[in-house]
Amino acid sequence: MIEVKNLVKRFDDHTALDGLTMTVPDGAIYGLVGANGAGKSTTIKTLVGILKADGGDALIDGKPVFENPEVKARIAYIPDEVWSFPQATMQDMMKFYRSIYPKFDLGRWQKLGEVFALDERRPIRKFSRGMKKQVAFRLALSMRADYLFLDEPVDGLDPMMRRQVWQLILADSADYGTTVLVSSHNLRELEEICDHVGIMQKGKMIAEKRVEGGENLEALFLEELGGVQYDVQNILL
Amino acid sequence: MIPVNYKDPRPIYEQIKSGLRRMVAEGELPAGSKLPSVRELAVSLTVNPNTIQRAYRELEAEGLITSAQGKGSFVAEGVKADKAAWQKLFADFDAATQNLLAAGAHPSDLCARILNGGDKHD
Repeated sequence: MIEVKNLVKRFDDHTALDGLTMTVPDGAIYGLVGANGAGKSTTIKTLVGILKADGGDALIDGKPVFENPEVKARIAYIPDEVWSFPQATMQDMMKFYRSIYPKFDLGRWQKLGEVFALDERRPIRKFSRGMKKQVAFRLALSMRADYLFLDEPVDGLDPMMRRQVWQLILADSADYGTTVLVSSHNLRELEEICDHVGIMQKGKMIAEKRVEGGENLEALFLEELGGVQYDVQNILL
Repeated sequence: MIPVNYKDPRPIYEQIKSGLRRMVAEGELPAGSKLPSVRELAVSLTVNPNTIQRAYRELEAEGLITSAQGKGSFVAEGVKADKAAWQKLFADFDAATQNLLAAGAHPSDLCARILNGGDKHD
């Protein structure tokens, strides 16, 4: 379970997370939605232990994440912008991940090569944005992580690849009970995939709901933001 | 296969329900036949398993399917495909559509009426 209590994160004079509280039950596929700047990426970066919170708690199975290798070994994270070592090929990154993550599954890695069919010897930095995302997915799904954090995961992927990636995520969730936290501004896509949704605004959680198939998130979103002056285009694009 | 269309304004679980109803009515899924598992259908349609569960649960309440703990879901015994009735409904529909078009109705109005399931586009 992921528990966030009164989380605060400031960047200079900007408060990105302003007392955020959220709960992600085990095995959930939790969609984090909100306008640009609502704090989705900051939330995820704090939950995976990249950022240190200025206040509050970010707990995974009751344990703090920041500088806690035991918890981090169970976490896979796909950032919005995928990073790799400058000269590294997919093979190099695989060896690096394998040396760090105890449950790295080489058989799975090889199998996923059929889905993410990219040149294994080419430096990753020469790949397009969408191809880099594919590398990140192949690595993340080979880690056998208990928690999968995805920040705008299908941005840059073509429709066929998007679908395949969602299918892999759904299968991992169903087969291994992987807990998935996914941020996206594509409400329609999240609507079909998620069973929980959290709506963020200005660094706070304004609504958390269990959803069950085909809820209209767009309507839910606008309802929750009712009375608030809001740039709708900002949310829906 | 069950068609799921993200542009269809109906919720996905409704689309899945009508897809299964159609397959039963057309005889593609005879009484007693096993339905795909929730996991299988969720992954192949790329929707959350809860969505499939909801569709199955509601079809079970309607009596179209039955579920046995640990065994899966099946088309209920005694549910009969009635292809003739199915074709008759379509023939009636085609006749009504022809009449409406002849009387000057616009196809897009007819489509809107179907999708909204009622009387909203007169």
